[in-house]
Amino acid sequence: MSAAISVRNLRKVYGSKAAVDGLDLEVPRGCFFGFLGPNGAGKTTTIRMLMGLAPPTSGSIELLGLPMPERALEVKGKIGLVPDESLLFDHLTGPEFTEFVGRMYGLDRSVARERGQELLELFELDSEPRKLIGDYSKGMRKRIAMAAALIHRPELFLLDEPFEGVDAVGARLMKEILLEQVRRGATMFLTSHVLEVVERLCDRVAIIQQGRLVLDSTMAELRSGSETLEDIFVRAVGAERPAETLDWL
Amino acid sequence: MLNSRTRVILWAQWRSTRNRFPRANQVGVAFTGIMGLIWYGLFGYLSVIAAYLLSSPSELPSLGGAIPGALLLCFLYWQFIPVLTASMGSSLDIRKLLVYPVPRGSLFWIEVALRVSTSIEMLMLLIGAGVGLALNPSVPIWAPAVLIPFVAINLLLSAGVRDLLIRLLARKRIREIVVFLLVLCAALPQALLLNGPRGRLRQIFSGEPAPYWPWNATAELATGKFSWFSVVTLLLWVAVVYFFSRWQFERGLNFDRSEASAAGRSSSRGAGLLEWWYRLPSVILRDPLGALVEKELRFLTRTPRFRLVFTMGFSFGLLIWLPMAFGRNASRHSLLADNYLTLVSVYALLILSDALFWNCFGFDRGAVQLYLLSPVKFGVVLVGKNVAAAFFVALEISAIALVCALLRLPLTGIQVLEAIVVSFVVMLFILSIGNLSSLYNPRSVDPSKSFRTAASARTQAMLMLAFPLALIPVALAYLARYAFDSEWAFFGALLGGGVLGGIVYSYSLGSAVRASEQRREEIITALSRGDGPIAS
Repeated sequence: MSAAISVRNLRKVYGSKAAVDGLDLEVPRGCFFGFLGPNGAGKTTTIRMLMGLAPPTSGSIELLGLPMPERALEVKGKIGLVPDESLLFDHLTGPEFTEFVGRMYGLDRSVARERGQELLELFELDSEPRKLIGDYSKGMRKRIAMAAALIHRPELFLLDEPFEGVDAVGARLMKEILLEQVRRGATMFLTSHVLEVVERLCDRVAIIQQGRLVLDSTMAELRSGSETLEDIFVRAVGAERPAETLDWL
Repeated sequence: MLNSRTRVILWAQWRSTRNRFPRANQVGVAFTGIMGLIWYGLFGYLSVIAAYLLSSPSELPSLGGAIPGALLLCFLYWQFIPVLTASMGSSLDIRKLLVYPVPRGSLFWIEVALRVSTSIEMLMLLIGAGVGLALNPSVPIWAPAVLIPFVAINLLLSAGVRDLLIRLLARKRIREIVVFLLVLCAALPQALLLNGPRGRLRQIFSGEPAPYWPWNATAELATGKFSWFSVVTLLLWVAVVYFFSRWQFERGLNFDRSEASAAGRSSSRGAGLLEWWYRLPSVILRDPLGALVEKELRFLTRTPRFRLVFTMGFSFGLLIWLPMAFGRNASRHSLLADNYLTLVSVYALLILSDALFWNCFGFDRGAVQLYLLSPVKFGVVLVGKNVAAAFFVALEISAIALVCALLRLPLTGIQVLEAIVVSFVVMLFILSIGNLSSLYNPRSVDPSKSFRTAASARTQAMLMLAFPLALIPVALAYLARYAFDSEWAFFGALLGGGVLGGIVYSYSLGSAVRASEQRREEIITALSRGDGPIAS
């Protein structure tokens, strides 16, 4: 079976700077994949290219065995996105947004509405159905994005910092749902700065630095050593330096 | 017929629009409704007149010659008015919809249909004309239908032009050149009418119509004069503008704003000059006011949207008023010519007002929280914003004066002084109202989007009422000059106006500070909001 994500020599150049520089990546199906990197390493640019929001300068992308952008329509129907907040519609309510997303993925209106309602209950967003998404807290916005991502039972999830701003109870619920999705065969592609979360959830990890892949390994291999994921991450991105003290601090 | 996903997008937009209303100010909604009724009522009336005249077999021969010109005006209005008013109408927020499995073709046709929103007026007139022609017994039954391809040409071309402009305006350096060219285009008809070769201009509207233009081909066919040449011409135009707009739409879909903004960097010499400009307030003012003003100068100078209005401030006004003040028929010492610099400077205030005065926290959006949380009095923040506005107004007047000098327009020291004093007196009153409006009616504005109207209905209403009010003290000063025929009387009255403006400003600042304390939560919420799938 083809990989869930297969990226070959992917490049994205902004002006004279390469945000992603010759990235090769293979994410097997059914894998919980953690994609890590320091700020500005090219994580968001990569995920934007996978989502089809930014065209690559060169290189190829295959999602679920289908080439992008040639088969984009087919691929998009099988993907669930938890993007950054800017892709939410602030003037829709939670039920309206989940219904909208469900119908955009081709569900019948009644099915979209019913599933949307169930997801809102699951994520505890059903108490104020008339509240606009623009009035949601950061954690609520991430939860509504997650609820919308699940509505069409996608095969591949692209998750950009999904736990950012979510409280412990909400985060735990989201993790359980995501693990359940992996158990049923879905693939997760997760970017996160919280290494503990990645360590606990992912079975494979890649680290990107200055647009290039500097580490790609299974979690089991990484755990076999004595180092924590944080130690490995810091070493991989070449950020090992003594903590400098400032005189005035 | 609309496919299911198109219907969903339109449904979501309808819900987004409806959801805004219960929270909106009822007075603002009512004002928008009344203004809309008057404006569209006027075009509805014109539409009925068009239907009445074109339905009469006796009137049609005499009107026939005017129809190509009328259609040309309709075409120009449809293509250029949205650009000039910087209101590009409703359009898809492609970035939000790209992640869904929607065929690009569907998005394209929704986008084309949304172009109706930029010129509903023209559609009303064409419908009126179509009804009139349909009722006219001397016109063949098929003739009114040729207005449909004419509407299609306008919609498709408008969509293509919009996509092209948006991409051009997202590119550094090119953006400024494009804006300047647009400004030149805006002033061109007026300049041609007042100064241009009259015969040629008249020929466009009254001469023998060139059959290859779509408005002429449409006019020929619509009045029942069938020719295969006109049919082929019209169909060719539809095909050409379809391919153009589809091409531009596809390019827009693949357009990466980050990539465009990454291209082009200012030279180190230019950067040095800018740094001097940014640091200027800190030389004069003490922190935290100096830091606040410096931040505003840095931020606004780097904001595409503000750069657009600033450029328009010193170019658009100059070009619009120039033919009237110094045109072929104008006297070198008319009221307009003598007060040209002042007039253009005050007009520039109007252009800058939305970005600098009425909604001064619009660009700050979520960052406004920093002002509310920092250990600086909110009054100081407002004064910082206002001082930065004054810096930009001073720069704008300098730019206008410089261009006037370069054009060798009559300009004296006293005229420059007059322009500065008048503008600052007017600005004091506008700031007084603007500080309150910024806190009572804040609205988030995307600084990267040059072609979106930022003002809400309530703000537009306020603009129409407040600007004439702010001009009253200055108008009284000019009255004093006229009545006493004395410059002393004029500047004395201006001084009085300035003092009054200072008092009003001081009082409104206190009210604005109190509003910032009482409405803290509403302000943050309002400034954090974004758009629906279709943004207007």
